[in-house]
Amino acid sequence: MAAQPRPPAPARGTTGATGGERSAPQLHWQLSRHARRLVTLALAGLAIALVSGRPEFAGVAAPALLLLAARRPARPARVGVEVWLGAARAYEGEEDAVGVTVTGPGEHDTELRLRPGTDIEPVNAVSVTGTRARFGFTAPHWGRRRIGTLDVLLRDRWRLTEGRATERLPALDCYPRPAQQQTTVVLSHLPNRLGEHAARAPGDGAEFAGVREYAPGDRQRRINWPASLRRGRLQVNTFAAERSQDVVLLLDATSDAGRPGMSALDLALRGATATARACLAARDRVGFVSYRWGGVQWLPPRLGERQVYRIIDSVLAGQGGAPAGDRLHRLPRAALPPGALIIAFSPLLDHVFVEALRDLRERSFAILIVDVLNAGPGRGRSAVDRFTQRIWRMEQEAIRFSLRELGIPVVHWDGEQSLDLPLAPYTRRVMVVRR
Amino acid sequence: MRRRGRAARVTALTAWAGGLLGGACVAWSAAPLPGTRLAALALSLAVVCAVLGALRLALAGVAAPEDIFISVPLRIWVGLLGVVRVPPWEEGTIVATLWLEVQHPARPWHTAVLGAALIAYLLAVHLDESRALPRVLRPQAPLLAAGACLLAAGAGAAMIPAVGTGGAPDWLRGLAAVAAVAAAVLVVPVSRPDPR
Repeated sequence: MAAQPRPPAPARGTTGATGGERSAPQLHWQLSRHARRLVTLALAGLAIALVSGRPEFAGVAAPALLLLAARRPARPARVGVEVWLGAARAYEGEEDAVGVTVTGPGEHDTELRLRPGTDIEPVNAVSVTGTRARFGFTAPHWGRRRIGTLDVLLRDRWRLTEGRATERLPALDCYPRPAQQQTTVVLSHLPNRLGEHAARAPGDGAEFAGVREYAPGDRQRRINWPASLRRGRLQVNTFAAERSQDVVLLLDATSDAGRPGMSALDLALRGATATARACLAARDRVGFVSYRWGGVQWLPPRLGERQVYRIIDSVLAGQGGAPAGDRLHRLPRAALPPGALIIAFSPLLDHVFVEALRDLRERSFAILIVDVLNAGPGRGRSAVDRFTQRIWRMEQEAIRFSLRELGIPVVHWDGEQSLDLPLAPYTRRVMVVRR
Repeated sequence: MRRRGRAARVTALTAWAGGLLGGACVAWSAAPLPGTRLAALALSLAVVCAVLGALRLALAGVAAPEDIFISVPLRIWVGLLGVVRVPPWEEGTIVATLWLEVQHPARPWHTAVLGAALIAYLLAVHLDESRALPRVLRPQAPLLAAGACLLAAGAGAAMIPAVGTGGAPDWLRGLAAVAAVAAAVLVVPVSRPDPR
């Protein structure tokens, strides 16, 4: 896979700042296990010497007593901890690092231990001796992940007392690994807005559209001299207007079928990210609608590469629970501009979502569905199981057939290949949609 | 990378040393085994504690799964890890070994060697636990030397014939030895400022 550009650093003050975060956690001091063992040896030796009257056991206790009587340096009540993240945003599987610097341990030896959070995999040692450490880690699955906690352990020179402090590490926004997509779907009817797609209407674009007779006011440099000589009258070249379109990506997050890492939701998000990137590279405005149980979250169509990160951030922010947003059929014009191309990523398992797609089509929206379902019901051996599977498969085929009949193309994507392949029938030429 | 590999080798060595020293302490205090039931009980306790202590050192690097939903064999394994890791097996080894030793007739130099081995055992266990290199013990070398002198002095005092045949009761002789050790500990200049 080609190297992905690193996501931009978040604005100052947002989550997971890459700049150093300083804190002064309180230390909790206690005897070390080593000291407790020495106490046991000393007490046992002295007690036996007293009870049995054998002085050699007092000698056994002597080294332990000497070690315990050693001077201990002043214990700091707090230490300063500065934590910084290599990057507050990373792609799935990409290596990141968290750096730690501890100040104010005095004469004590310092040990730093990383306790990784859920879905965080350390790539090197999780325990470092010293006041500075850099812990490398990866997040194998997208989402907002807490890196974990940091244990700061201070030991005196004699290793008899231990001071322990725990510090929470910042969160990491792990972005889905985008799929490959170079081409974009272009509608036949484009809104009257400057862009990079050649429209049917004549304009000032760069793509040659035809030849017509010269009219007063035409620019001299557009005269087509070979055509003028053949026809005996002045002919000028005409060019296609260049327009942009609104693309709204519709993400169906209601069902997450399939194995972890390649589930329908994983594929839908990766596909949506790739499509958003490709459309934004073609100067299209890209909007985003995320459909979940309980409501809809949406972002209005915008230009610029940052829109990709806005889209992913909105999914990560809504990961914790169901949003209380709008209904899909009641979205405002800002979310679904008239004439926009809607590309839906869905496993088509939710009937409400399928009905909403039909409703959108009846409102003359151009819709293309990328089917991301790559799983089915478990394979059973009995005849009933096979029969059930067959019914389920036929039901799924019926849903797709009915959508195609309405003029909604449905393409299947397995998540492995480039998205250009399933979309090829609609990217090689403009997509004509019946109004 | 080379330093990390060396540290890993040293940690493995200290784990081995801890296990072997624990076993050696038990064997040294047991030989020859007194034929009493108490001795057999003390030996059993010492062996169990030493073996589980060595197991704890060996399994120190094994991570327990943090998932909640785990299979029954994995759950049993996590329980076993907890049994091995949580109780203070080294303290048990120390107490059982000294108890076993005191059941023998007086043998001062034998006991002194046991005392030295127990201190070495504790230091090896500590090094392995804290994953530290032996050089962290360098500041303690003078104290350990002084402790060795006191150990030898205790053994020597026990060998003086008058101590063993005097008219004073046993507890008084023990108290005298304890007082002598305490006085020596207080006299030894262990409170020097840290040279670093």
